Amino acid sequence: MSFLKVESVSKHFGSLVAVDGVSMNVQKGECRAVIGPNGAGKTTFFNLITGMLGLTSGRVVLDGQDMAGIDPSHRVKLGMARTFQITEIFPELTVRENVRIPVEVAAGLHLSPRMPAHLKASVNDRIEQLLEEGGLTRIAHRYAGELSHGDQRACEIMMALALNPRLLLLDEPTAGMGDDETHAVARLIKRIHRESHMTIVLIEHDMRVVFNLADRITVLAEGKPLAEGTPAEITANERVQAAYLGGAA
Amino acid sequence: MTQLILFNVANGLIIGAFYALMAIGLSLIMSLSDVINFAHGGFLAIGAYLAYTLSPYVGFWGGLILAPILTAILGLIAEKFLISRVYGRDPLYSLLLTFGLAFIIEDSTRFIWGAQSVPYDVPGWLMSPLSADYFFLTGYRMFMVALVALAVGGLFYVMNRTRLGLRIRAGTLDLETVSVLGVNVRVLRNLNFGIGIYLAGLAGVLAAGQLGLQPTIGASVIMPSFVAIIIGGLGSLTGTLLGGLLIGVASGLTAVFLPSATEAVIYVMMALVLLIRPQGLLGEEGRF
Amino acid sequence: MRFDVKKNALSLVVWALLLTAPLWVDRVGAYPELVTQVVVMGLAAMSLNFLLGYTGVLSFGHAAYFGLGAYGVGLTIRYLMPSTMAGLAVGVLVGALAAALIGPMIVRRRGVYFAMVTIAFGQVFYFIAFRWNNVTGGDDGLTNWHRENLHLGFATFKLMDSPYDFYYFVLAVFAICTGLMALILRSPFGRTLIAIRENERRSRFLGINVNFHIWVSWVVSCTFMSVAGALYALLNNFVDPRAFYWSQSGVFVIMCVMGGMRSFWGPLLGAAVYVVLQDYLSSVTPNWMSFIGLVFVAVVLFFPRGFLGVLRRRASE
Repeated sequence: MSFLKVESVSKHFGSLVAVDGVSMNVQKGECRAVIGPNGAGKTTFFNLITGMLGLTSGRVVLDGQDMAGIDPSHRVKLGMARTFQITEIFPELTVRENVRIPVEVAAGLHLSPRMPAHLKASVNDRIEQLLEEGGLTRIAHRYAGELSHGDQRACEIMMALALNPRLLLLDEPTAGMGDDETHAVARLIKRIHRESHMTIVLIEHDMRVVFNLADRITVLAEGKPLAEGTPAEITANERVQAAYLGGAA
Repeated sequence: MTQLILFNVANGLIIGAFYALMAIGLSLIMSLSDVINFAHGGFLAIGAYLAYTLSPYVGFWGGLILAPILTAILGLIAEKFLISRVYGRDPLYSLLLTFGLAFIIEDSTRFIWGAQSVPYDVPGWLMSPLSADYFFLTGYRMFMVALVALAVGGLFYVMNRTRLGLRIRAGTLDLETVSVLGVNVRVLRNLNFGIGIYLAGLAGVLAAGQLGLQPTIGASVIMPSFVAIIIGGLGSLTGTLLGGLLIGVASGLTAVFLPSATEAVIYVMMALVLLIRPQGLLGEEGRF
Repeated sequence: MRFDVKKNALSLVVWALLLTAPLWVDRVGAYPELVTQVVVMGLAAMSLNFLLGYTGVLSFGHAAYFGLGAYGVGLTIRYLMPSTMAGLAVGVLVGALAAALIGPMIVRRRGVYFAMVTIAFGQVFYFIAFRWNNVTGGDDGLTNWHRENLHLGFATFKLMDSPYDFYYFVLAVFAICTGLMALILRSPFGRTLIAIRENERRSRFLGINVNFHIWVSWVVSCTFMSVAGALYALLNNFVDPRAFYWSQSGVFVIMCVMGGMRSFWGPLLGAAVYVVLQDYLSSVTPNWMSFIGLVFVAVVLFFPRGFLGVLRRRASE
C-alpha cells in the first residue's frame, strides 16, 4: 500500500483551474520529484497535500488516514512537514533558537510554561544533533536572517526534520541558488534520505538535482498529470520533452 | 407608542447615515492603505467647525460646499506629509500616528473654537416639521438623508464607473499588480485618502446642524463607525453602509425600550456578528 | 545556573532604582504617588507588551481590562468586603474572565482588523460604567471607598496612610507579575509565542495551533493588565469610566513603543517617560493633549524602535 496517496485532486479558483485531477502514489521510503514547466500547478498541488488550500475535489490519504477536514497544523502533528519555495524561518532568532522551537514542539512542550528538568538534556542534545547533521553548528549563534541562502535552506530543512516527520515535502529546495549552494543542499537531502529512509516529495527545477535524488518523477503541465515514471522513463518520454521544449513551457 | 418608535427609528436612520458616511471613508482608507485612521473623527470635527466659521460669510449653502472640500485638502496634506511616511511599515505605526493626530486635532479645535458647544444655524425653512403628526420629520432631516444618499450614490458611481474608482478597487485586491501595471500607487492612495476625508467633512457639516458643535464630536462617532465596518464586513462598501444604518436604527430602538443600553447595544450586535458570521454581513471570508 | 551579571545588568539597574526610589524621589522634584503611578503604568505597559511585543499581536483595546481590574477592586471594597486583597483578587478574576470569553471572537483576526475589533470591544465596558449610575457612579466615577490596611500574620502594612508602605506593596505585586512574565517568556511556551511573532506561517507548519496560542497569550496579557488596573484604582482610591476609554488603550501602546517593544523593560521606561511628561505638561499648559499627540507623531517618525531599541542597536553596532 502506498504511504501517501493522492487521488485525483483538483483546485479551482473561480473559473481558473489550477490543479486538475492529479493522482500520485508515493511508497514508504521513496524520494519523489514533482516537476513541470512554470505555471504547471506544482506549488498549488503541494498546498493541497499540506492543507494550506482546501480541495475542490479529490482525496489525500496519509498512511491510510484521510486528511479531509484536518487543518495544516494538525497534519504536521500527523507527520507531514514541509519547507517553502521562499524560505520560511525566524529571521530575528539565532539558528539554534530556530531549531529549538520545533524540537520543543516535537517534545510536546510548546504549551509548557516551564522546561521540565528531565527533558532539558535530551532537548539540548537533539538540537545539537540536528545542527550537526545540517552542517549548522559553526553558525548556530548567528541570526538566521543574516545567513546565506543555502544555509537558510539547510536551517529550514533541519527545522522540518526536528518534528520527526514521516513525510517531508520540499518546495524547490534549491530555488535561487548558485551551483555550490545547490550542490550542498542536494547533498544534505540525499544524506537524509539515505540515512533515515525518510519519505520525501520535492518540487524541483534543477534537473541535475532531480535526477540525482529522485526514485520516481511525476510531471505536471498546466495543472494536469502528464507522466510518471523512473528518471530513465521520464527522460525517454516524448510528451515530457514536448512540454518542456515545446509550447507549454 | 407607534409615534415614539417611528421617531426613534427616524432618529436612528439619521445617526446611522452619519456612521455610514464616516465608516465608508474609514473603510476605503483601511482597504487600500492598511491604515486605521483614528483621526477620522477629528476631520469630521474640522469639517463641522469650518462650516460654522465660513457660513456667516458664504451662507449655509456655501459652507456646505466649501467646508468638506477644505477638509479634504487638509486631509490630503496630512496624508502626504505624515501618513504616507509609514506606508509599508508595521501597521502599528500608522495607528499610533493617526492616534496622535486625533489628539492634536481635538485639542486644536478646542483651542481655536472653545470647549463649549456652539450653535450652528440652518435656514429656518429647513427646520420646520413637514407635518404636525410627525413633528420629528423636519425638512433638515429629510435633506440630510437625501444628501447622504447622494454622496454614497456618487461614491458608488466613482468606484464602479470611473478609472480612478476601478484602480482603487483593483488596488485593494492586489496592490502589487496595480503598481506593476503602471498606476502610481502613491497618488492613488493620496486621492483615496482625500475621498475618505471629504466624506468625513461632509458628515461633519451635516452633524453640526443636527447635533450641535463641540470638540469631542469626532471622538464620539469614530467607535460606532468601526462597529459599522465590522458588522458590514471589511472591504464591502455596501456592507459598511448597511452596517451603519443598522446600528443607527438599533440604538434608536433601544433608546425606546432600554435607554441605558442605547450605546452598548451596537457592541453586543458586533459580538453576535463576530460569533455567527466573523467576516461580517457582506464581507468575504479569508481576507482578514 | 550561574548568575550572569552582564546579561542582567539592565534588570539590576531597574530593580536598584525601584527599590531605592523613596530615598531619592523628593530630590528630583517628584513625589511618592508619581513613582507609584510609574510602576503601575509600567506594569500595564509590560502586560500589553507580552502580547504586542512578544506575540506580535496588535491589541488596541487593553484599557478594557485595565478598567475591569479597577472597577473590580473598587466595587468589591465598596459593596462587598473592605479588604484590599479581596478586591484585588476580584478585579483580576473579572478581567481574566472577560478576556477568556472575548478571546475566541477575536483570535482569528490579524493586523489592523484585530486592533479595530479589540478597541471596539473595549467600548462596551466604558458604556456600562458610564450608564450604570446607581452602582458605578456613572460619569462622576466610583467614590466613597478607599484601600484598606493589609494585615498579614507577622505585620500590618499601613497602605492607607503611608504612601511608602503602599509603594512597596505595589512594587511587590509588580515584582510577582513581571517575574512571572519573564519566566513564561523564557519557557518553551514563551518561545512559541516569539515564533508566532517572527513568522506565523512557519509556526503553523511546525504544528503549532497559532490561534490557541494567541488566545492563551491574550488571556495572560489581559490578566496582568487587570492587576495594573486594580492597583491604579487603589492608588487613587477612585475610578471613573475614562479608565476604559479607547484613547487610554492608545496610551498603553505608545508607552510600549516609546520604551522599546523588543526589550523586556522597555515599556516600563516608556511608561515612566509618559507619566512624568503628562504630569508636567498638564501642570504647565491646558493644551497638553496636543503635546501628547506630538509625542505620538515624533515617536513614530523618529524613534520607531523606542529608547531601549535605539540603545541596543547602538550597542550591537
